[in-house]
Amino acid sequence: MFAKPVDLAGAAVFVALMAALPLAFPSNYLIGVLTVSVLYGIWAVTWDFMSGLTGRENFGHALFIGVGAYTAGFMNTTFGLNGWWSLPASMVVATLFALLIGVPTLRLKGPYFALAMLSGSVIMQRLMLIFWEQTGGEEGLNGLTPLIRSQIGFYYFALAALAAITALLLALSRSHFGLILRAIRGDEATCQAAGINVTFYKIASLAISGAFAGAGGAMYAHYQLQVSPQLFAVVTSITIITMVYVGGMASIYGPVGGAILLVLLTELLRNFGEWRLMIYSCALILILFFLPGGLVAPAWRRLRAALTERRTARTVPASQERSA
Amino acid sequence: MTALLEVANLNKHFGGLHAVKNVSLTLARGEVVGILGPNGAGKTTVYNLLTGFIAPDPGARIVFQGTNVVGLAPYRVAALGISRTFQLCRPFVGLSVLENVVVGALGSRAAAGGDLEARARGLLAQVGLGGKEGVPVDVLSYGDQRRLEIARALAARPALLLLDEPFAGLGSSEIADLSALIRRVHADEGLTVVLIEHKLREFMRLVDRVVALDFGEVIAEGLPDEIVRNPAVIEAYIGRDESAGSVVASHAA
Repeated sequence: MFAKPVDLAGAAVFVALMAALPLAFPSNYLIGVLTVSVLYGIWAVTWDFMSGLTGRENFGHALFIGVGAYTAGFMNTTFGLNGWWSLPASMVVATLFALLIGVPTLRLKGPYFALAMLSGSVIMQRLMLIFWEQTGGEEGLNGLTPLIRSQIGFYYFALAALAAITALLLALSRSHFGLILRAIRGDEATCQAAGINVTFYKIASLAISGAFAGAGGAMYAHYQLQVSPQLFAVVTSITIITMVYVGGMASIYGPVGGAILLVLLTELLRNFGEWRLMIYSCALILILFFLPGGLVAPAWRRLRAALTERRTARTVPASQERSA
Repeated sequence: MTALLEVANLNKHFGGLHAVKNVSLTLARGEVVGILGPNGAGKTTVYNLLTGFIAPDPGARIVFQGTNVVGLAPYRVAALGISRTFQLCRPFVGLSVLENVVVGALGSRAAAGGDLEARARGLLAQVGLGGKEGVPVDVLSYGDQRRLEIARALAARPALLLLDEPFAGLGSSEIADLSALIRRVHADEGLTVVLIEHKLREFMRLVDRVVALDFGEVIAEGLPDEIVRNPAVIEAYIGRDESAGSVVASHAA
């Protein structure tokens, strides 16, 4: 059911294309843009795993990014630990934050969870400024060491991490665990009538989502080599949600494409100067209006259907001849 | 015969409204029991109390297979073996018909293990939804949604199945099919079934025993024939009129 050859081939072509781009057009600028797009891909896919599947919108995904990045910052600069420790540590801290917000709010109906995530990210941004003596305030923490010295090396590491996280979340989403998450989106009361502990599954999916988003935050910190309160910005959370919508909600792989597409689009539109935001917003409105199912996932489904159809079309006439 | 479910002293107040009054019920294993009552009699509230969706007033006793289920979360009650359907169909929107039934089995210890998908296909064939496995649930007809609710509830391999107005909104041929289905699952698996219903004719043929509710109170209990002749039940349905008894009885027969 999961890894059909055509899906694996599609994923392989996508990763190969992403890996080949900086080789075909070698420039540090392009590698930088691609690295950022890949990190946004991690955040979009993790958002989709919780909120896309269960239907419980999270308006503060930047909370996980921020706490992941600050964990990396403190461990690396204040305590002088090797950068690789940042990844597991940021996952642990982000999971704790997911439980802190998820346990009290995900048992409730209504907008409490969405609002708690939103205010959680805003509060953390404030706290980073209030405790400026420890956090460096507006300037944040500087002088992090890179995980991998070569820029393209780090890009390939981030691309591999994105591929691994997406593969894991896709496999989970197509397991019984993922089926339950989608059933929760369908009807919570029926889930309970079927003996399913809805609250547990929502919290577990948020913890998984938060852990990997936090790891993405730590990677971002070791890419920028500094962290700042701006990481908690609400606009980041909204951007991630937009990427998921453009990619195709609840498809898991779609938001990866949505993230990369939107980061590249933002860069391409830089030439338009002041018109950039205008064009960007109009493009988004058009996409959301005319393609409520998103752009990337439906496009892949069509392509996939065309590819498999051609293959079955070649085999079908033979069987028809036999039956005729 | 041991009691499958024992309910005593079941009360529920909603503010000033005493919605369920001192209800006591005992279900024997393998019975098919009907709960009859006019709109607002508290039938669905009784289901919600039994399944943990609403907490009863203090002092209630609900013992299912030897376990006290008062105060347990709905998913825990369901996991113990009580499956219910809803009056308004509540399928998992966004999932296929087959997936809906598979999810029905995922929360139940009794249904764990084995090929859930194969069993779900079997249940769909049993309820007459064979061939619609891949269809998204939101395009199903109302009657098919009702069948799906029952297949989903059966997927958990319950010991007790609570059906909330399974015939509501169905045509007479659909009602005949559905009651045949309920008879079949009862005969095949020895399942204890409780139905809430208005549709007297089919309902009375289906059940072994009827509990009549009015204003949250058990007003009568007995065999279907006795119930349709019971003055309290007739009064609850069509008001106090001496000549009306025979009308109801002939309608129900």
